[in-house]
Amino acid sequence: MKPVNPPVIALHGVNRSFDGRDVLKNMSLEVAPGEALCLLGRSGIGKSVTLKLIIGLIKPDSGTICVDGENIVDMDEDGLSKVRSRIGFLFQSAALFDSLSLYDNLAFPLRRLRPETPDAEIAEIVQKNLEDVGLGKDSRKMPMELSGGMRKRAGLARSLMLDPHILLIDEPISGLDRVTASEIDDLLLQVKKRDRPAMVIVTHDTHEARRVGDRVAVLDNGSLIGVGRIDELAQSENSLVRALVSREE
Amino acid sequence: MRKYLDFVGNVGLFVLQAARRALIPPFEWQMILRQTEVAGWKSLPLILCSGLALGLVLAIHTQSTLNQLGAGALMPSVQSMAFFNEIGPLVAGLLMAGRVGAGIGAELANMRATEQIDAIEALSVDSFKMLVIPRIIACAIALPLLTVFIDFAGLAGGYLAELFISDMSPRLYLFRAFHDVSWATFIPPTVKTVGFGIIVGAISSYLGYTANEGADGVGRAATNSVVISSVAIILIDVVFVKAILFLFPDTAI
Repeated sequence: MKPVNPPVIALHGVNRSFDGRDVLKNMSLEVAPGEALCLLGRSGIGKSVTLKLIIGLIKPDSGTICVDGENIVDMDEDGLSKVRSRIGFLFQSAALFDSLSLYDNLAFPLRRLRPETPDAEIAEIVQKNLEDVGLGKDSRKMPMELSGGMRKRAGLARSLMLDPHILLIDEPISGLDRVTASEIDDLLLQVKKRDRPAMVIVTHDTHEARRVGDRVAVLDNGSLIGVGRIDELAQSENSLVRALVSREE
Repeated sequence: MRKYLDFVGNVGLFVLQAARRALIPPFEWQMILRQTEVAGWKSLPLILCSGLALGLVLAIHTQSTLNQLGAGALMPSVQSMAFFNEIGPLVAGLLMAGRVGAGIGAELANMRATEQIDAIEALSVDSFKMLVIPRIIACAIALPLLTVFIDFAGLAGGYLAELFISDMSPRLYLFRAFHDVSWATFIPPTVKTVGFGIIVGAISSYLGYTANEGADGVGRAATNSVVISSVAIILIDVVFVKAILFLFPDTAI
């Protein structure tokens, strides 16, 4: 099933190699507005690289990457800056800044990208976002004082600070126990329902893909070997696709 | 050999890039202040303790030799010349390489390994300007100030040693210590530590910022920051000393 609306994210013929090893080969992918696409696949096959390509942290060797209809591949820093301000990124490790408190971590995007925002307004937005992820009383804590699940929630709250309409999420539940993982997925579902961002979620977890994703794209050897709803992929002729989508973590 | 030349070339390009981008607004004043506090203020206890102990030890050694030569009265002067000309700048540089260089290397490598630098870039913030340039500038500002403190801590250590032996008054000690000291003796060796600071800041920032080996790279970046910065300071000191003697012949002891 292809997205009906014009895609907010469109990769066409993207190739990327590292140290002579082809990580992505002629990859094409589209994500519609408000759609949650889960990227599923084995470790080290370019899922996280795909996210970093979409936000322009890595340049492709060839191919086009369009965000909101604009090709970002040859875009200058100013152009990329505008595109990135519309994208939220939850990193696999949450990537909270160790030297800043939770409050300052969340305030960072606003202070940097919207410096005209008054401190009182920043405080209000930070507090609201922290409460949304259940960390309303932890704003003064340092990242090292937080558990793995709390860090992921804090990272999610920070990624939502600029009200992005695209959300890139890298393995949100990796390393978490089943209960905490389920809480994180609940939060993602809340965000999906409330804000309707286009989401690309990298995951190993079929259960998560089934719960949060509208569509699933299965990546192997640098190429997409299956894209569609999870029940469609379960009927795929490709045995690896069937194995990946039917595997419960 | 080629590996070492590559490294020197890459650090040189890194410094040039930092110098060019440091002049382009917006300027990271807050980060510069914060890093100067980390590199300077927080290093002060270490600098003062080391300077005092070194001054004491140096005085104990030189006192007996000078006494044998019947020149015991020269001890304060020897102490001040030794500290102002060489011991102060060099030891302050090496201590900064050990404390601040290791910290910068480990911190930036850790930020790279835990995707914090990617997170900064993902927010369209120039991570190089935010993380690297303030650290280099902070080291260049902090080291000359620390050098002044270690110089005077060394003199204080020398006075303590003198006090045990001769009960010399502080006034006489200071008079003798500064009798042969001119601005030309004090300023150029202190100013050369700006160069040492840039070396420590640039090498450790380069090693941390470009680390890409995950958690393993953090320890390696910290260790290499100390070792390479220290060796670079000692080597470049030879050039600085020759240049100072050429430009300010009066500084020769």
